Amino acid sequence: MKPRHIFVWIVLLCVLAACCFARLMITRSISGELSFVWPESTYIGYRIVPMFAAIIVGGALGVSGMGLQVLLRNPLASPWILGLSSGAGLGVMASMMIEHYRGIGIPEGETIGAVAGAIVALVAVYLLSRGHGGLDPVTMVLVGVVVSVICGAGIMVLQHLVPMGLRGSFTTWLMGSLPETMSYVRLGILGGVVCVGTLLLAWWGPSLDAACLSDDEATSVGVHLPSLRFRLFLVSSILAAVGVIIAGPIAFVGLIAPHGARLLLRSNHRMLAFGSAIVGALLLVCADDARQLLDLGTGRLPVGILTSGIGGFVFLLLLLRGRGKV
Amino acid sequence: MRLHISSLIVRYGKLTALRDITASAEGGKIVCVLGPNASGKSTLLRCIAGLQTPTRGKVLLDGASLLRLHPRARASKVAWVPRSSEVGGRFTLRRVVELGRYALGPSPARVDDALATVDLLDRADTIWHEASAGMKQRTSIARALAQRTPGGLLVLDEPTSALDLRHIRIVSDVLRKCASEGDLVIAAIHDVALAIHLADTAFVLRHGELVLAGQSSAILSPGSLGEVFGVDLAWATDEAGKRHLVSP
Repeated sequence: MKPRHIFVWIVLLCVLAACCFARLMITRSISGELSFVWPESTYIGYRIVPMFAAIIVGGALGVSGMGLQVLLRNPLASPWILGLSSGAGLGVMASMMIEHYRGIGIPEGETIGAVAGAIVALVAVYLLSRGHGGLDPVTMVLVGVVVSVICGAGIMVLQHLVPMGLRGSFTTWLMGSLPETMSYVRLGILGGVVCVGTLLLAWWGPSLDAACLSDDEATSVGVHLPSLRFRLFLVSSILAAVGVIIAGPIAFVGLIAPHGARLLLRSNHRMLAFGSAIVGALLLVCADDARQLLDLGTGRLPVGILTSGIGGFVFLLLLLRGRGKV
Repeated sequence: MRLHISSLIVRYGKLTALRDITASAEGGKIVCVLGPNASGKSTLLRCIAGLQTPTRGKVLLDGASLLRLHPRARASKVAWVPRSSEVGGRFTLRRVVELGRYALGPSPARVDDALATVDLLDRADTIWHEASAGMKQRTSIARALAQRTPGGLLVLDEPTSALDLRHIRIVSDVLRKCASEGDLVIAAIHDVALAIHLADTAFVLRHGELVLAGQSSAILSPGSLGEVFGVDLAWATDEAGKRHLVSP
């Protein structure tokens, strides 16, 4: 590892630790007063859970985005380009509708709906994007967009059919938010999935480097592209699904984190896998910190709004900097 | 090493790119593939390198089909240089050359040697997207040199199209050296004069058909090439008494 990389890693991990510490300390009273104090033991769980959730979701989306950008040969690819979020959204909407009209509460209804919707969307994208030589990146982007549009239309139909109250709950889910309560076991399992996914992508790092060549060149140096693309599709989708299960559709983290890691580390994909995970986690913990600090007088904003808003500006800045305009 | 192409047919939908090609070549030789635009040169090279499945027919290397090999195993036998390379990430030229060692294990010495051979060692840290077309082409050639196993197959699709005269000479010498080490070098070359200078054997294609194949000195003449390309060609002799093909 080069000295520059060691320095960047130390800075990234220190900033992440500082942001996590800030998340635990930021306190806003009912009257809206802001203070920085260590929380009472009764409340600390309500801060530790969202903090770890932000690390896990941010890491999952960052690594998933990196995998998909290689898979789709598209620097603008993100976990949502494959129709996963709109599929999950449709599933959540359907589960809410069933609960409402049947008058029954489905245990973990939102989660089951999100996972089922995401799986159906991904399977559709996979089956429709398969050609003779395995998954075709261009077809996959097009099919992903079409599946998103179809699921979006389904969501609008269901929204039209449900009463106003449910529309509000669904809109909140669509914005993406970090949970304040979740069992540590569940967080641990989902965190473990993200760690395994990150390690797998890091292990495949040299293959990802070679896959940045054209198809013919990558094959000629020894990469089995159909197999690599299937593995990338599977692992990136599972990681994105972990993000949806915990926090709903959080925008922009999966798009920006890999670019941020590339900019900071300027390295191969083995290191970028870990870099994307850390930058993703950092972005989401930062956004959650900012959410605690902001007071618009109407309660705290869903974290997804901040990632979209801040992320959009940061991405524009990166884009303009890349074109030498900033 | 022996390459045998038998009854090769490639169709893209209704378009027939290659029509019943049968030819063979031995290791230690340079084979130049010539022909007008859209005559099927690149398709033939991709089939030879095991990158394209033909509609019918076979390409056998020492009696075995390259298509049946896993890409890793194939990479140890065949090195490929495309007409123009694509690199998606922010890689240096050195990193692009290192990718040639993907299946064979890292070898910094081979990478340095390959970069030095194509005159890129002092520019190896240039970012791919900031490199000139000629540098990119030399990088692709260096990647194939870092990958090649002496006695293997080296397939190049117009490897000199973006190079200046000095680097064309360097690449010609490199290909000659590879052949002298037992490689079978197969290259599509647009520059007919260069092909005549370089080739031991020539395959000449027109409309997907192999119209001429054999020892280059025997088959590459102003008459035969003029007919294939549809232009008038003639020999001209320089002050040293060397013959050159010219278009009067």
